[in-house]
Amino acid sequence: MAGRVAILRQGRVLIASLQEALGDSDILGLQSDILRDVIRHRATGVIVDVSALDVLDSFGTRTLADMAAAVQLRGARLAIVGIQPDVAFSMVLMGLTLTGVATARDLETGLALLTGAGE
Amino acid sequence: MSPPVLPAEQVLRIARDGDIVAARQAGRLMASEIGFSRPEQALIATAISELTRNIVSYAGTGRLSCRAVQQPRRIGLRIIAEDQGPGIPDLEAALRDGYSTGNSLGLGLPGTRRIMDDFDIRSAPGQGVTVTVTKWTSC
Amino acid sequence: MSDIIASSAPRADRLRPATDEQLRWFDITETDRSRAEALAATADELAEPIIEDFYRHLLSFEGARRHFRDDDQIARVKQGQLRYFRELVAAALDDEYVANRRRIGLIHERAGVTPTLYVGAYAYYLHSLGHMVMDRMQDDPARAVSLLLSLNKIAHFDMALALETYVDTREAAIEQREREMSELPTPVLQLRDGLLLIPVVGTLDSFRARNLTVRVLERIRDLRARAVVLDITGVAAVDSAVASHLIQTMTAARLMGATAVLTGLSAEVAQALVKIGVTSEALHTAGDLQHGIEIAERLMEG
Repeated sequence: MAGRVAILRQGRVLIASLQEALGDSDILGLQSDILRDVIRHRATGVIVDVSALDVLDSFGTRTLADMAAAVQLRGARLAIVGIQPDVAFSMVLMGLTLTGVATARDLETGLALLTGAGE
Repeated sequence: MSPPVLPAEQVLRIARDGDIVAARQAGRLMASEIGFSRPEQALIATAISELTRNIVSYAGTGRLSCRAVQQPRRIGLRIIAEDQGPGIPDLEAALRDGYSTGNSLGLGLPGTRRIMDDFDIRSAPGQGVTVTVTKWTSC
Repeated sequence: MSDIIASSAPRADRLRPATDEQLRWFDITETDRSRAEALAATADELAEPIIEDFYRHLLSFEGARRHFRDDDQIARVKQGQLRYFRELVAAALDDEYVANRRRIGLIHERAGVTPTLYVGAYAYYLHSLGHMVMDRMQDDPARAVSLLLSLNKIAHFDMALALETYVDTREAAIEQREREMSELPTPVLQLRDGLLLIPVVGTLDSFRARNLTVRVLERIRDLRARAVVLDITGVAAVDSAVASHLIQTMTAARLMGATAVLTGLSAEVAQALVKIGVTSEALHTAGDLQHGIEIAERLMEG
């Protein structure tokens, strides 16, 4: 069953854009959808666009980090793009650093990062 | 400079995933009405997110109240999250970074303590949890 | 990372004992007060000649003379002094008295009356009054001594009030200066497309560090930066608290997709970073700015 977050495909990169009022179950749903799609479409990269989010708390951050690790186990790379200044600020004060997870300013640079790395 | 009209207290019932989203939106709105900067609003919304998630994950149901508080030279937003759940057996451990009882929320409470100005937690096994946090406007 | 970010709880106002407590500390009893009052008539009568005498003494110091514009001003200050010493023997020693004394202390501080000048004048007055009282009460020297000792207690209490005010005023001035230092605006310069340079200058407390982080992040977004060079050559003191603030700023930049390079690290700072568990693997650093910019440019291309 597909979750509330639509996953788009551009070449072999999957793109998921999170919406503002996203609940925890939506994020968990996205996690399983993405892992399914990475295998189904033999994706090499996944971009999670969080530019619409105004909060990324410990649960959200942890889930994104887990997602990145799981995607990597399936042979693809995940980049989180569009973290807003206020969100980045509160994340570091919370101690949420997303260590080891690729980040990029926006969709465009995220795509360049993932496809460039695959060359 | 005339004092701003302080927003009325809000009390929200927290029982589901969707309530977490609603609570942080309500808290952020109230924070902006009180005059917090955007980064401070983000901190407040994050704290509410953590506190309400703890209610949903560990107690099932509870309530969150947000109230403007005034002191001679500053205004603050006081947030009280309370539940009647199983409580926290070891408060000290729960406030340490990396501690979690299964739902991988290790940074939630210590992080919340860091981003708010005042932090108070009361709990006993079987007696629920009450967390009171306050953020003051920087004057 | 538990203790990296200092608590931002506001500092409690310094506790000040209530007037009653202070009187108890100086062991000033009702007896002392009534004894001092017994001196009121004498003190009243003698105040003027003592003060005249004192001003002759004072004005023999050239440095002191320069404080006064003209004779009018000297006359005014003498009047104030007269009142001050009269109150010493007659006042109620209540909260109002304390507030008033503190106000006078503040005026002294502002007028450049140093604690030495103040205490010296006091000593001169007490000394002169003491001699005169002993002279007048030759028939009952024991009572004279007891009266003067009581007055002595009150005078010390009084001096303490003034000195507290000096200290408070000085502390407030220091706090003000620190505040100003911490509010120094931090410029964010665009070196070239996508590359920012932030020269951090002054002291970096948690308040300013947070503002710095917010500002850097906003500029990264507005200028679509891919790399930022944070130069800390001008930071006054980098301890582990400051170091962790800087790392927070750099981590936040990375979350937004910009690479951060820290430059201007002294050997001590590098050590402070290691102490809080930072490895160069997680953090790009360079000794000098030029090298730092080169690293940032390389990272932008790679």
